[in-house]
Amino acid sequence: MSKRILHHPEVPAGETTVAWRSAGQLEDSAEFRQWLDREFPQGAAEMANEEDAENSRRSFMKLMGASTALAGFGMAACRRPENYIVAYTKAPEWVIPGKATYYASSMPRAHGATPLVVTSFEGRPTKLAPNQLHPDAEGTDAFAQASVLDLYSPSRSRNFLKSGKPAKRADFEAALAAIATDPSAKIGFLFGADDCPTRANLIKALAAKYSAAKFYQYEALVGDAGLGDGVKAVANFALADRILSLDCDFAGTDSQGPVTPFFNRRKPEGNGYTGKPDASKMNRLYIVEGAFTLTGGMADHRLRLAPSQVAGIAAQVARELGVSVASAEITDEKHLAWVKALAADLKSHAGKSLVLAGSRQTPAVHQLALAINLALGNIGEGKPLLAVQTDNKGLGTLANLKADIDSAAIETLISLTPGNPIYDAPADLKFAESFAKLKTSIHLGMRTDATAHAATWHVPAAHYLESWSDARSATGVYTVVQPMILPLYPDCVSELELLLAVASDGGKLLNGEGEKGAASPAYDAVRATFATIGAEGNDPWKKLLRDGFYAGSKYPLAAPVAAPVSVALPDAPTAKALEVIFATDSSIFDGRWIDNGWLQEAPDPISKATWDNAALIAPKTAKELGIYDQIISAEPVSSVLGVKSKFAKVGPDGEGENRVQPMIEVTVNGQTLEIAVLVSFGQAENTIVIPLGYGQGFDPEDELKRDTKNAGHVGLVGVNRGFNAYPLRTAATTYFAPGATTKVLSGKHYSMALTQEHHAMYGRALARAITTMPDEKKGSFENQLAHVAIQGNDSHAPPNIYLYKPETSATWDPGKDGKAQPLINDPLHQWGMSIDLTSCMGCNACLVACQAENNIPIVGKQQVAMGREMHWIRMDRYYASQKDNTFDDANPELIPQPVACVQCESAPCETVCPVNATVHTEDGLNAMAYNRCIGTRYCANNCPYKARRFNYFDYNKRNPLIANNLYKGPLGEKSVGEAPHLQRNPNVTVRMRGVMEKCTYCVQRLKDAVIRQKRGQKQGVLESGKPSSDFQVTTQTLRIPVDSVKVACQEACPASAITFGNLLDEDQSALGRSKRIERNYDLLNYIGTRPRTSYLARVKNPNPQMPDAKFVGKATIHMV
Amino acid sequence: MANIFPRWSNFLPLKIAVCAGTAAAGVALAFSYYATPKSLTVGYQPSQPIPFSHKIHVEQLGIDCRYCHSFVDVSGHSNVPTSNTCWNCHQHVQRESPKLAPLHRSMDVSFPGYDGKPIEWVRVHKSPDYVYFNHAAHVNRGISCQTCHGDVHQMEVVYQAESHSMGWCLDCHRAPEENLRPLEEVYNFNYSDADVSKYTTDASVKTTRDLGLKLKEQFMIKPKESCATCHH
Repeated sequence: MSKRILHHPEVPAGETTVAWRSAGQLEDSAEFRQWLDREFPQGAAEMANEEDAENSRRSFMKLMGASTALAGFGMAACRRPENYIVAYTKAPEWVIPGKATYYASSMPRAHGATPLVVTSFEGRPTKLAPNQLHPDAEGTDAFAQASVLDLYSPSRSRNFLKSGKPAKRADFEAALAAIATDPSAKIGFLFGADDCPTRANLIKALAAKYSAAKFYQYEALVGDAGLGDGVKAVANFALADRILSLDCDFAGTDSQGPVTPFFNRRKPEGNGYTGKPDASKMNRLYIVEGAFTLTGGMADHRLRLAPSQVAGIAAQVARELGVSVASAEITDEKHLAWVKALAADLKSHAGKSLVLAGSRQTPAVHQLALAINLALGNIGEGKPLLAVQTDNKGLGTLANLKADIDSAAIETLISLTPGNPIYDAPADLKFAESFAKLKTSIHLGMRTDATAHAATWHVPAAHYLESWSDARSATGVYTVVQPMILPLYPDCVSELELLLAVASDGGKLLNGEGEKGAASPAYDAVRATFATIGAEGNDPWKKLLRDGFYAGSKYPLAAPVAAPVSVALPDAPTAKALEVIFATDSSIFDGRWIDNGWLQEAPDPISKATWDNAALIAPKTAKELGIYDQIISAEPVSSVLGVKSKFAKVGPDGEGENRVQPMIEVTVNGQTLEIAVLVSFGQAENTIVIPLGYGQGFDPEDELKRDTKNAGHVGLVGVNRGFNAYPLRTAATTYFAPGATTKVLSGKHYSMALTQEHHAMYGRALARAITTMPDEKKGSFENQLAHVAIQGNDSHAPPNIYLYKPETSATWDPGKDGKAQPLINDPLHQWGMSIDLTSCMGCNACLVACQAENNIPIVGKQQVAMGREMHWIRMDRYYASQKDNTFDDANPELIPQPVACVQCESAPCETVCPVNATVHTEDGLNAMAYNRCIGTRYCANNCPYKARRFNYFDYNKRNPLIANNLYKGPLGEKSVGEAPHLQRNPNVTVRMRGVMEKCTYCVQRLKDAVIRQKRGQKQGVLESGKPSSDFQVTTQTLRIPVDSVKVACQEACPASAITFGNLLDEDQSALGRSKRIERNYDLLNYIGTRPRTSYLARVKNPNPQMPDAKFVGKATIHMV
Repeated sequence: MANIFPRWSNFLPLKIAVCAGTAAAGVALAFSYYATPKSLTVGYQPSQPIPFSHKIHVEQLGIDCRYCHSFVDVSGHSNVPTSNTCWNCHQHVQRESPKLAPLHRSMDVSFPGYDGKPIEWVRVHKSPDYVYFNHAAHVNRGISCQTCHGDVHQMEVVYQAESHSMGWCLDCHRAPEENLRPLEEVYNFNYSDADVSKYTTDASVKTTRDLGLKLKEQFMIKPKESCATCHH
């Protein structure tokens, strides 16, 4: 019998929007249907591993039967094991066993520190949240969220290395002492691009001590805006009405200042949904970029253009605004019309507009952006852009360092940068050759990467959650970095501790703690810095530690001057001479997070690839190169009992367990790279995007049998991952390289784990979009707003009849009044959520935050390919284009939609559970009792939102990254007791094999908040001074304060797209207000599940004068 | 054709069925009696590194529960005292008692075997990892320590007095009035019907249960029975 399928209504004939998730779906929707039909991808539920194919269900039952019978004979498990309670010897202040403590700290980063509040359980930091008190608070991105895992990474460096071999600490200390006692040493220091005031002080001390000392700065993918030495531009998005991004992914990997205000300005009702929808209060974003970025997906107008051509558009805009530029006019009429209307819009918002250049773009683009901003009066105090002077002044570049090593001006190098110059420096710099000439090189790092192995000494670095330091946030607010825990491994040294040892007379290395249990020497150094920058004395210091920052401190302003610009525009790329874009990776940045499992498994926001990178090309270019069909029609390989055949069941885009991707050979700058290839929509023609940072080390398990000499550079997470594009990069082409050629490597394939088709949903008007511009068919903005709730077939669906009774039985279970009682009946709290698609950019911050909060395991590439990823939040990414798009039909709109369990009041999953493991709570949650679940998976089968995840294996206990480990059952290697388990949230059950799980609105946080509120009763009694029996408890005593509890995804969201709260607070809460605005709609409303999570339609704010305006804001997604 | 089965075998299947049924019922009954928390955990009384007597400390000396279990009304977890809590008194009282050797080892720098390591108390009450019982939620709403832990003030060596099974939890969640007390009486192990008159002038309220019913209304006590209350 075939599965019964609910037939969703078809899309009406007049619909002009075409929507798709994957190239396969766009090309061949017949097979994609199968993906939509199933709750898990085909094959997800089968044990198809070659070694265990014989482990069929039947043989499993036989074995189990025998072992159950035998279990009766040995009564080994009858005796209760003894458990111990080990209390502290001396109780530390503030620590209450079982309760989290919260500390303010920050994560130092190149674009400015991310202010954080760290959750710590009995001294174990487990979770990071943004510090909302901080003036530069902007949520946390996926990198910040995942950085806590680095602390507990099993592959984390913990020993000293000498020339790549384990060494004794004493030997290193002797070497360090020799350097510290030689003031004539020709010593160089290589720093990262973050700004650390204490380090800036130490630089002065070191320069005084060593007459020959030189200081450099290097991070691979940090560009130079050319505004002056140590000068950077910081955007204040709150003041920017019009934004032009010249290839700048400011919302993603190329931060230009706190980004939350940008998203707050996207909401027509204002932040917190307090006002009436007003299009004039919204900002407008124009972007010119090569390939889709998160920022590009948010843009109201997007022009896709090879990065080399961006300068031409910038020059044209500048000319339109009266800046004199020596360059040729652009000739494309469409582009000219686009620029004209854009320039007029910028001009009419002079002083309230913002032009941002991608930090890795060419100097010409930066100069043009500066000239335009100056011409429009956008720079200065109270303006959208500030030019500020950082402390990172007078630092040399990597090229300077190389020259100094070659001329023997530097003989000793202390490398403290988070970059990995041996691996990621431009290839033509031949930095490794010079590095080898150094007499002594000391590398400090958390990973034993290429530079660690090349250096004479590698020193294991302390994590920022283990060190005392300080930093500057984006606008220069002095921000403290305080340790949550002593270094997990006793030899880990922080940057400041190492510098202090070098700066000290004897060179004695003190790390973690000072002498005789005193605080680390870095503590004294930071306090001394704070005394000069902030205030002296104990009270300001304590306030600094409490708040995490020193209010009022900021960078001094700089006054950049526009230089005359001349632009020599290179030829546009062609199919014969392609342009390679070396992209910053959304998962591992420049490669530094290659060993972070959470980031590796988070699907790339655009390509939806996990665990690997691949070359991305536009469909049209792929067709011209003749590889489109190969990419689309995958070569599925079925392997049964080790015999490979070509009849595997896979989706149209080849997604599935044995998906293999064709490979191409890219040749540029005289170097060649063999790399897997994917189709990417909305990308400029004749460009190839290659994300950087992968391919750092391979072991014998590698599918392509690549050289294993670098296997020691990475851990189990990072080994055999993707392709290394750094050797293709030269100093002149760090961002894009012209003149590339490709060749299809016929017969060569590489397996990829893509999630773009996983958990695909059926339904009409899943994601809804409207535009502020009046539309021929849909009418004015007001009219479109009024119609949001009835888009799709919500306009003509009959009223919902609930399948499941929301009340008790009047006969069997009546209330006191003898009548049926409502089942969801908590009078204090009824939880709800809304997700605003207007500000959601699809960045994965929520997904990783959820993983950290809820003990969600990683499952490894092989399991992801089978559709077994465990993320509770699934970030759907849809493309939508207009059939009649005459401006650019290959530039679809991108619309992300995070979907987690929507907590249906009338939940289809609950009625099918044979053991009542998923049931409703009185306060409206669809709860999961993990200990009750027997793993029938009926619930997932019945979930129309596909929000449930099943533990096919014991991912938490058995390490999924060791080849075939999961299939070895009890013989497999356990990972219990390894450091990652210290990260677990003690308030969330760690699920085992055979258990279904899903989002429960962070129920542990809700319970904590509600229980905390109950103490109010005791307080009330104490304050009243009367016996407790005289005290009347009211709703107010027991209901938590409005908007006082935040769920993990909401807290992390840099776009403030997620609102959560108590529905009973009504309009007092942001949630209540968001539920009442017109943009609010329920996902799959017409099937009658009454979800508690609703969505707010995406609003685009196009400029009616633009040639592409009428194709914007139409991305309502139908999947049928 | 001769009968293969003799006449007496006519009722054999029935007899076998009855016997098997009885045996199965017996096994089920035995299992439900012997293999459930009621008999498996009640009475568990391990010996502790220090033979600490609650009877002496609570009954004789009158120390409040919260002197040692200091966070019981703040945190979900009721803490066991840190060594320095014991040492507050025992550096002066009964200092020479050989029973306190583990405490000296942990706190007393002058003690020959001093190692500064904490004392390993043997856990008596253990709920499974997937149960999130919260002490603060109960003691702040009028449920006494005694309700779940029994007459600890009489115990020379602590043992588990109640089964702490899920059914036992639900019994109280369905009828909290049986155990509700005024907040002042939560840590009083001698609370009885005699104390009721202190808290009400209503003559019809005579027993602790009557008062519990009254408090239930007044404190808005609506204990939850849904899974996520304890399992998440």
